[in-house]
Amino acid sequence: MWQFRVVTWVVLYLLGLLVQTALLPQIFPIGYVPDLVLPLTVIIALYETPRRGLLAGLIGGLMQDVWAGRLWGLNALTFALLGFAIAHLESRIVRDNVFVPGLLAGLAQLLVLPFQWVILRMVGLALPWSQFMKPLPVWLLFTMLVTPAIGGILGFRPRHEVDRPYSRYVR
Amino acid sequence: MGGFIFRWRRPIIILLVVAVVSVSLSVTSRLHGKVESMSNAIGSLVSPASSTLAYLGNKVGVGVGTIGELFTLQRENQQLKQQLLLYNSMKLELSELAEENSQLRGLLQLKGAASHWKLVTATVISRNPDTWFQTVVINRGSDSGIHAGMAVIEPQGVVGRVISTSPVSATVMLLLDPDSGVGAEDVRSQAAGVVSGRAAISDELTFQLFAHHPNIQPGDAVVTSSYNQYYPAGLLIGEVAKVSKTAYGLTETAVVVPSVNFNQIDNVMVVLSHPNGTSLPPIFGGGSR
Repeated sequence: MWQFRVVTWVVLYLLGLLVQTALLPQIFPIGYVPDLVLPLTVIIALYETPRRGLLAGLIGGLMQDVWAGRLWGLNALTFALLGFAIAHLESRIVRDNVFVPGLLAGLAQLLVLPFQWVILRMVGLALPWSQFMKPLPVWLLFTMLVTPAIGGILGFRPRHEVDRPYSRYVR
Repeated sequence: MGGFIFRWRRPIIILLVVAVVSVSLSVTSRLHGKVESMSNAIGSLVSPASSTLAYLGNKVGVGVGTIGELFTLQRENQQLKQQLLLYNSMKLELSELAEENSQLRGLLQLKGAASHWKLVTATVISRNPDTWFQTVVINRGSDSGIHAGMAVIEPQGVVGRVISTSPVSATVMLLLDPDSGVGAEDVRSQAAGVVSGRAAISDELTFQLFAHHPNIQPGDAVVTSSYNQYYPAGLLIGEVAKVSKTAYGLTETAVVVPSVNFNQIDNVMVVLSHPNGTSLPPIFGGGSR
């Protein structure tokens, strides 16, 4: 199934980054352009094992780092851990196609921002906390709305349903 | 041993990933040039798609903006009528000023200086995917004679400088970037300092002054100084909005509002060459020194 292939993830991240760098800056003001790698990582990891969730996040984050051309590892580390955590949570929660991806993405956005602030401070880029957190409401709203939308467009399904197409009807 | 590794394989993999990525972070925070050139290569590969998306986004933005403007048009119409009265009274005064202005222009010979400035026009095709760094990609590269270190300007003022190039595109670090350091001076008091991005999200700049008691005031124009590696002297950067002391009161810093609207940079000009000693090209509204 195409959704479980690494090539699919790479293509999705590539499209996401293209939209993020060329299209979203036309809509959002500078400094407020939201991240599309985060919603994609959440959607992919929701249907994966923790190890593959980590791999997906690592790929997406690394692509973003290389594209940005400044700090290789900032997003790779963030999204690898995020992918692992989401995939780990996946087996413990009830999964639906709208609320759970939206809530998880919102929660992820809340955690990712302070995490990156700490990492940037560690590598010598001390940005003021208040300025750093300023775009959070916009990003939170965007992520919580866009993640279920992306999930709906992609139509990802759990592995057991893909392997056995009629398993949902079997009791 | 094998059993131990197999049992703890997940934590081991995670620790390895974290370790490798941390080392990469540490190394790339020190190395700038090579990392940026790799990013620029990717920028070149995707530049056709970026250009198309940016074009489409721009058209959609203009359409949506026009609909939104309808609601404010009526209010603006009233304001404009009032302003018209004011402008009529200013008309006489302006005609006198225009005459004086043309004389001053003649004296400064700015027109002559312009012919010696070699500029290349370029379009912004994409921005940096990381919010914490402010760079843009333009659709001209080394094939057009652009190389790293060249200043990028707009009619309103300084935009930034080229940090890496490919044959068909170039990455420009905006003045808003925390790593952009521009030698600058206050036009009125000649107080010198360094202007750099204030914070990733902010559209204001910090002007760190060298002098202990610089005579700098809100409203002063700030231009690039002659103590500059990349920028020609005298290009308009912005206007001082606020002046404050640093943490221990030893020096002063000023908040500068850039003259360029960084949310609306579509077309920019790259300064390929400029004559030594000249400061201000006539396309700039900034004052001469």
